[in-house]
Amino acid sequence: MATTVPPPAPAEEVVARLERMWEARPGVLGWVMTTDHKRIGLLFFWTTLALFGAGGVEALLIRTQLIRPDNHLVSPGTFDELFTVHGMTMIFFFIIPASTGVFGNYLLPLMIGARDMAFPRLNALSYWVFLGSAIFLYTSLFMGLAPNAGWFDYVPLANRRFDPGPPIDFYCLAVIFNSLSSTLTASNFIVTIFKMRAPGMSFNRMPLFCFAFLATSFGLLFALPPLSADTIFLFLDRNVGTHFFDVAHGGSTLLWQHLFWIFGHPEVYILIVPAFGIATSIIPAFTQRRLVAFPLVAIAELLVVFIGFGVWAHHMFAVGMPVITVVFFAAATAMVVIPSTVQVFAWCMTFVTGSPQFRTPLLFIAGFIFMFVAGGLTGMMFVAVPFDQQVTDTYFVVAHFHYIIFGAAVFPIFAGFYFWFPKVTGKLYFELPGQISFWVVFVGTNLLFFPMHVVGLEGMTRRVYTYSGGSGWGPENLAESIGGYLTGAGIVLLLGNLLVSWFRGPPAGPDPWRAPTLEWTIPSPPPEYNFAVIPKVSSAYAAWDLADREEDRRKLAEHALVLDQGHEQPVSSPIDGWFSEIVEMPHDSPWPIVLATALSLVFTTLVIHKYAVAGIMGVLVLLALLFWHQEEPQNA
Amino acid sequence: MSGYVEGGTSERLVPRTTDARNAREAAALAARRRGPTVSLWGMAMVVASEGTLFGAFVGSYYYLRFKSPHWPPLGTPEPKVVVPLILVAVLATTSVPMQLAALAARAGRLWATRSFLLVALVVQSGYFAYEVHDYVDQLHRSTPQDNAYSSIYYLLLGADHAHVFFGLLLNVWLLGKLATGLTMYRLNAVQAVALYWHAVNVLTWIVIGTLLSAAA
Amino acid sequence: MRPSIRLLAGFQWFGLLAGAAVWTAQHVVGYGIGQAQCVAGGMHWGIGNDVWQLTLLSCAGLVVVLAEVAAVVVYLATRGADYGSGPPGSGRFGGRTPYGRLNFFAMGAMLANALFLAIMLLDGLAASFDVLCRQS
Repeated sequence: MATTVPPPAPAEEVVARLERMWEARPGVLGWVMTTDHKRIGLLFFWTTLALFGAGGVEALLIRTQLIRPDNHLVSPGTFDELFTVHGMTMIFFFIIPASTGVFGNYLLPLMIGARDMAFPRLNALSYWVFLGSAIFLYTSLFMGLAPNAGWFDYVPLANRRFDPGPPIDFYCLAVIFNSLSSTLTASNFIVTIFKMRAPGMSFNRMPLFCFAFLATSFGLLFALPPLSADTIFLFLDRNVGTHFFDVAHGGSTLLWQHLFWIFGHPEVYILIVPAFGIATSIIPAFTQRRLVAFPLVAIAELLVVFIGFGVWAHHMFAVGMPVITVVFFAAATAMVVIPSTVQVFAWCMTFVTGSPQFRTPLLFIAGFIFMFVAGGLTGMMFVAVPFDQQVTDTYFVVAHFHYIIFGAAVFPIFAGFYFWFPKVTGKLYFELPGQISFWVVFVGTNLLFFPMHVVGLEGMTRRVYTYSGGSGWGPENLAESIGGYLTGAGIVLLLGNLLVSWFRGPPAGPDPWRAPTLEWTIPSPPPEYNFAVIPKVSSAYAAWDLADREEDRRKLAEHALVLDQGHEQPVSSPIDGWFSEIVEMPHDSPWPIVLATALSLVFTTLVIHKYAVAGIMGVLVLLALLFWHQEEPQNA
Repeated sequence: MSGYVEGGTSERLVPRTTDARNAREAAALAARRRGPTVSLWGMAMVVASEGTLFGAFVGSYYYLRFKSPHWPPLGTPEPKVVVPLILVAVLATTSVPMQLAALAARAGRLWATRSFLLVALVVQSGYFAYEVHDYVDQLHRSTPQDNAYSSIYYLLLGADHAHVFFGLLLNVWLLGKLATGLTMYRLNAVQAVALYWHAVNVLTWIVIGTLLSAAA
Repeated sequence: MRPSIRLLAGFQWFGLLAGAAVWTAQHVVGYGIGQAQCVAGGMHWGIGNDVWQLTLLSCAGLVVVLAEVAAVVVYLATRGADYGSGPPGSGRFGGRTPYGRLNFFAMGAMLANALFLAIMLLDGLAASFDVLCRQS
């Protein structure tokens, strides 16, 4: 059974054959059964946008409640639900799915010269599980039973004695359900990055975006299980009568905190490292210069997540741990800032030594660098334990993490929306409204989050429902709330610009930015099969290697490396990218959505405490898994 | 030097592995592949994730243990040592037939693969049946609701048994698939499930070692 | 005399991974020893905290220094290999050998090991001084 070389054929015929082979099923069924990473990225996009809106509404309600002293817009109980669900939504249901599910899914295969992820059906499952978990959490909100003990849900407040009833059960199960989606995505990314790179793309020729997503994926893979363990313990304590967190019977309330922050600190790096990847993609394009210190930036992206696994107890500096424990975590926390600093220097030097064009994406990246540095400085201040103990649980902390999360995670997401808009839609966005949206958002977020430093130092604690007039915090809170509305307006303008541009924007062509990575070498929007010819890669800036791109065109004419004998992808060796085998990929499948539905039933029956029924639903899950694996990829 | 840049091997020499339809073809194509397969990497991800989950459980065990002056707490029975250790050793030996099954699959020897899988399945099922009986038996003497020790004890042990059970399901599924022949997909699957079992065996050692340390 | 490619590759992996592994061990074990010294059920084997921590620091520190040396050796041996761009040409750094990848990882390892050493010196030394079971 020899592998034959396909006969020569004209380029148009080859492309037509590929299009037929990879054609998506038409209509709604095509979307429901899709395994195409680009479609899944778009599904994630719409869903995360809706959830971002929900989280934003929750934020504006919080800000409106806090706009003046002694306000009673919402009840205290509702306020608790608002800040809890706001935190959960923004972290678990917006930033992570947007950065990994939207940008990672859509762009990773394109950047490595692949036709899809290593596990396309798993990718689809990731999305449907994510959607199920979002519906699960928001059902609790609409039923008035939303989680209400803060996004980190400390025991003993979250235990049965002080918070009986469904809300915290929803917390535990929503978090576990959602973490399944991210674990699947992370696994998929890791295997894809190691095995599915275009042959010849050795590790040192991989774009920095891929390093960022590799680091993020390892972070997710190892950080989510401790959170699952924590929430399993809590669910059992609440509903089965176990004593993991019950001090009277030998348990420990601090155990919750340790496990939570072993997840929680890597989580915050997971939030921002994809943004680093987006920034390192945008800066070379708009400075027309290779990134300064490329190998150092690559290792820094991996190091920040790795060291980030060793700093978790700095979130617990105020609970009374012995000094010897504190020492280990303070030391690691002090040093974990260095990889981030290396990256900031590299970005800034690239600006300075390149020719920056401040189009909207680069404006958002500049804003990102500013806010990341500001937030990083306040973060460094927490290394000083005595200072940390004074400002723990005040608005100073809220200011710090919003500068980081909004500045360092959300700004690059906005930058990325603008930057890749031409690639995804084939249209250019309108530049002037884009620039205005940046300035409105930038001014808004600084007005919103900067005064929080001040009131935090003055003693305003976080999560307070209201405050007295005599506290003197009124003016700052008013400014913050105005900043909040301004930010909201800026975001509406941003999204509106993108929407209008989608309908009315001028055509973009494949490469409006003359950017360096492989996705800019294919048409906009990309065809289903991504690359007609598996690209030749000689560097991390493949689109700027014109000789290689010329050779790709020649190969298309010779019908070489086209891989059109089926739904095919190349697989290479993990480090040096040696061409290893050609595999047939799965196409559309109903099993991801079926399996996700079965999982939703499991979680739903668990939250209403019908455990036997949940067991039966678990059997349905196993059956769905079985049917999924009945289909074996074979040649068409 | 273009050979290196394109990944060292020209397209005509790289196997189209999913083409293999029978054992002989699968073995021939598998021999031309370099390094662990995509499916083995995928199983490695599962192992990493579940391993970390168990790491969190084991870490919690030690965290709770070092807080307590008495472990197990007074009134809670100490774990038995000898029988569990023997059983863990027996389970660990099934790594041998599982690995032999993977090697046989790679060599295209279908009957050998089935036989090794069956041997492993029989021993693993025997182990599991005894462990379920023992778990239920222990519940008559102490319950997870007694104290933190018994909570973490039953959870850790139960989680381990659950993973063994899932492994049994995987082996049964494999035998079902292999009933109609060996394709490249099934060859990859045998290798992946063998990795799963090696991981479960190592994890079971760690879990039992942790639980039995209370008897020290 | 340049080391063989296999030796260089071995040094590269050692340089990249050994430092990370021993920092992890020193961090976890050091933290665990501190906990054991200070909590109710902790076990003491008659060895003082200072002895534990300084021994841990010395052993781990030695490995990190060796890893750094390995990384520097690889970097110097492969200097001139363009770590990222352009086709692998002819001559010393051309052909099928992945000198570019070795150089790239060596640079990363040099930064990583320096950082791990800094963290370990900070917490290893600080954990060896004075009564440390005082509540913070």
